[in-house]
Amino acid sequence: MFAFLSSQLAVLAPFFHDVIAGAITTILSSVAAFVLGIGIGAVLLLVRQHGGRALAWLVILYVSVIRGTPALIQMLVAYYVLPAVLNLNISPLQAGILALALNTAAYVSEILRGALNSLGRGQIPAARALGMPAFQAWRYIVFPQLFYRSIPPLTNEFTMLLKASSLMSIIAVHDLATVARDATLQTNLPLQVFSATAAVYFAILFIASSASRGLERRVAKVLPNVH
Amino acid sequence: MSIDLAIVQSSILPLLKGLKVTAQVCVLGIPLGIVAGTVAAYFRASTWRVLRAVALSYVEFVRNVPFLILVYLSFFGLPKLGVSMPAFAIGVAATAFYTGGYFSEILRAAFGSLAHGQVQAARSLGLSGLQVQRHVVLPQIFGFLAPATTSLTIMMFKDSSIFSVMSLTELTYQSNLLTADTFAYVEVLGTTALIYWLCSVLLDVAGQWSERYATRYRRV
Repeated sequence: MFAFLSSQLAVLAPFFHDVIAGAITTILSSVAAFVLGIGIGAVLLLVRQHGGRALAWLVILYVSVIRGTPALIQMLVAYYVLPAVLNLNISPLQAGILALALNTAAYVSEILRGALNSLGRGQIPAARALGMPAFQAWRYIVFPQLFYRSIPPLTNEFTMLLKASSLMSIIAVHDLATVARDATLQTNLPLQVFSATAAVYFAILFIASSASRGLERRVAKVLPNVH
Repeated sequence: MSIDLAIVQSSILPLLKGLKVTAQVCVLGIPLGIVAGTVAAYFRASTWRVLRAVALSYVEFVRNVPFLILVYLSFFGLPKLGVSMPAFAIGVAATAFYTGGYFSEILRAAFGSLAHGQVQAARSLGLSGLQVQRHVVLPQIFGFLAPATTSLTIMMFKDSSIFSVMSLTELTYQSNLLTADTFAYVEVLGTTALIYWLCSVLLDVAGQWSERYATRYRRV
């Protein structure tokens, strides 16, 4: 059994470097898309709450469309439609990161909105009444609670994003899924190749979610009064 | 740039044919997955350690492996094991497998959301075991399940687009055929996205109705 397994895995040895490169592409583009997505998502929420009625409806429509269409279709739109409409040249990797970021942004804006709505309504007026300037009220009252409450849903969103990043293989980004497909074509050993790929994804996602649980615990220690 | 409405018009029929296959996969796969998820949730709560371990590995696999990889693994891997299934059957099975993993977690959370002591309290008031389930546990569980199951259903509906990689003639596959044919990416992808979006909105509305129905006891 063990000899069989190791002989099977030996077949995959030539692809070791490709797998590492693919995994790095998967991780880095997911992180880039996540950071971008949080930024865009925060802007979306700001626009929705302070941008007037027309812009607020536009944001609501955007969130609904992103949440109502498959990430795969969004990937194809980012690669084939956006460059044509905006008349610019972008690489598959850029299109992939853009699609993931625009997708995540919609979910992030909803997560932040939920966290903001769960704060007690009177906290900001109370802080202002105690003499805090608006910035201080935001910095010391709103932000710590918002941060703490958003961590679990945001890290969950990051794992969803990591999984969705495999769709970049559809537009020829050299991520882990593409490496797996190429290796299958060369070896004709789909079971071994895709099981090994599943294991690599599992490891990446498992580490990501364990790290987020650790982060939650640390934040809980730093902010003992926030629940 | 301009939009060619003639292409939009001529792509609607093939796209709707694809939507039919998408709907068939979901209508078969998601309920099957709910059954699988219920079984897995029972296994998670079992006193037998082997069953717990099996259910836990199942859930962790689903949560940590992309759907695309599962589809590749089953579509290219199963024939190597001597199992030949048509793409449609693989689509249904993959949908059910994935739905089940998530649904068992939803169920676990639903039971966890019940305030402790309710069952004992109801029993001590003289309700029978069955009555406790019927009047105390299930109404609250359904109120919790409705919104979570709606978003899971929409997620699996959208994920069914991934079956286009194994040439299952669902909505995204039809869309790919049309774009390869006409190169009219804006028109075809736009129409496809619109169809997906409208269906998701409809599912969402249906989910909100079911949630209101399931939580009607709270408004007594």
